[in-house]
Amino acid sequence: MRRCIGAPILVACLAFAACSGEARTDPDGAAPTFRAALLTSGPVSDAGWYAGAYDGLMLLRDSMGAQVSHQQTRTPAEFDEAFLSYAADGYDLVFAHGSEYMDAAMRAGEQFPNTTFVVSGGGSFSTNVVPLIFELWEATYLAGMVAGGMSQSGVVGMVGGVAIPPVQGTFRAFEAGARAVDPDIEILEAYTGDWNDVAAAKEATVAQLRRGADVIIHNVDGASFGVFQAVREAVDAGGVAWALGMNGNQNDVVPEVILGSAVIRIADAFRETAVAWQAGEVGGASIYAGSSTDIVDFVINPVLADRIPARLIAAMQEARARVRSGELKVPSVPFVEGEPGAS
Amino acid sequence: MTEAFVLTAFLEASVRLGVPLALAALGETVTERSGVINIGLEGSIIAGALGGALGALAFGGAAGGVLVGAAAGFIVAVVFAAFAIGLGTDQIITGTAITLGGLGFTGAIYQARFGATGAALTLPTLAPMPIPLLSDIPVIGSALFEQAPTAYLAYVLAPALWYFLFRTEWGLEVRAVGEEPDTAAAAGVRVRWTRFWATTFGGTLAGVAGAHLVLAHAGTFAENMSAGRGFIAIAVVVLGRWNPPLVLVAALVFGGASALQFHAQTLGLDLPYQLFLAFPYLLTLAALAGWVGRSRAPAALALTWPRPR
Repeated sequence: MRRCIGAPILVACLAFAACSGEARTDPDGAAPTFRAALLTSGPVSDAGWYAGAYDGLMLLRDSMGAQVSHQQTRTPAEFDEAFLSYAADGYDLVFAHGSEYMDAAMRAGEQFPNTTFVVSGGGSFSTNVVPLIFELWEATYLAGMVAGGMSQSGVVGMVGGVAIPPVQGTFRAFEAGARAVDPDIEILEAYTGDWNDVAAAKEATVAQLRRGADVIIHNVDGASFGVFQAVREAVDAGGVAWALGMNGNQNDVVPEVILGSAVIRIADAFRETAVAWQAGEVGGASIYAGSSTDIVDFVINPVLADRIPARLIAAMQEARARVRSGELKVPSVPFVEGEPGAS
Repeated sequence: MTEAFVLTAFLEASVRLGVPLALAALGETVTERSGVINIGLEGSIIAGALGGALGALAFGGAAGGVLVGAAAGFIVAVVFAAFAIGLGTDQIITGTAITLGGLGFTGAIYQARFGATGAALTLPTLAPMPIPLLSDIPVIGSALFEQAPTAYLAYVLAPALWYFLFRTEWGLEVRAVGEEPDTAAAAGVRVRWTRFWATTFGGTLAGVAGAHLVLAHAGTFAENMSAGRGFIAIAVVVLGRWNPPLVLVAALVFGGASALQFHAQTLGLDLPYQLFLAFPYLLTLAALAGWVGRSRAPAALALTWPRPR
């Protein structure tokens, strides 16, 4: 029997080590105003989608006095368990940062009526489960305009992780934006099947660059570093190529090749959601966060601003104003059944 | 754009994607020949990747990164060996724990060192070293012989490990331990010691594979970037029938299948992309089903020795 003891202990130790994101805090020992938790299914070190959510959690702690905790779930089997642990522990507000959490959140919502669950990019709601939908397509449309205007070759590329609605929505809008500037532009599309596989994202980008694409947008997480690296190497080899950032402001990740970023100010959206929740206004309806409230925006990289023709910037700014006012409808993919998708 | 240009681009991508698999799978071949299946290979690869990044930054050069990556892969394999060989714990369970723990630990270290929300590292990279004459061969020359030094390590190791396993006494001991550990022990072979170094040798090469991924391929590090390559490498060992030269070929074929998916998607063929992504795995299933000829695993593979009573 002696030999059988080692493995379970090792598993327990390593499982504990694997929960690296745990960050329970109690600022200044003061009683917290409320308790908020964040679930991510990928590492928050992606300088994008998950990093923004982590910043949001920290903002709730620092600006609203919330007691916060973060967990990175590894497999879908852990979703229910994670919701259960937070809700049973008395957490008030649980942010689940990805549509993959939707079904588990609905189950948890039924079981724990006193906890509010916010699912980023989710597709259904109840009294205490709400999807927080970022209208990122409004920004990728503008990114598409810049790509279409900056491409010398008439070919641009998109590299995605998995073809889920939030990704497809941003790519359809990107295409529309690129075609608005250059109706004949050729647009390549590839998926790697993994959000963090840097090597795969790099190879997908290299394949598109070899096919003549000279502006590449991505929608992956940590793997975005591979997209940027491929573009940087193409430039170092004497070519002309640009990249576009996504989900967060990635302009300073590789400032010499990233023309601009389609940004979600996820932290601000989390804060606004928490404020609305405190006022009793969250529940029973989807929350849309778009460019009209400045949550979503396309931000030009100041380092490269003088490389973009003034005419193109002016056209982009004009479209931006029309999108904000609702005058220009950008193509998108519906998230919630029966709701139009675009605001 | 000429046909040959596209073919060359595809072959180059195949070798780039195949080399890390080849390095990890060649090491795992020696490990499995000794009767140990190291499912924790993924943990060694991701540790080697982070070690490669940290080492390259600390020593200001890619060569230092490769050494640190190899050491990191070795250390992870030592932990696995201490439990699976030293204490005789179940190899599959222990290996799974090592993989999960490796992914978690590297994430924690990376976030502690570079901030929780991450940064794209700019690392010194292993520049391709073209081999004179060979790299001038049309079509395949630049793909095979204009690579980082770690790729040549894989080319050299494949025949060297074959010679070692099948033509030296030491290699015979490794195989004996993997087939008939009781008989080997009776003949005076130190079974657990042989398995220990065969396993840590595999972990070291997996560490080099991780360092190659970061320093010769991606040029940067991201958490979880090993993306299942440890498990694929284990499949590649089966595909290569536990024979080092065949394992190298299998790894390059697998790299080719992976490269094909990106080029096929970029060609804009109107097929679901999931089909392309699944292609390398369908290939593995076909191989496992005996499509490339039957093969037999080492008889004592995954069995604890001495057998618990």
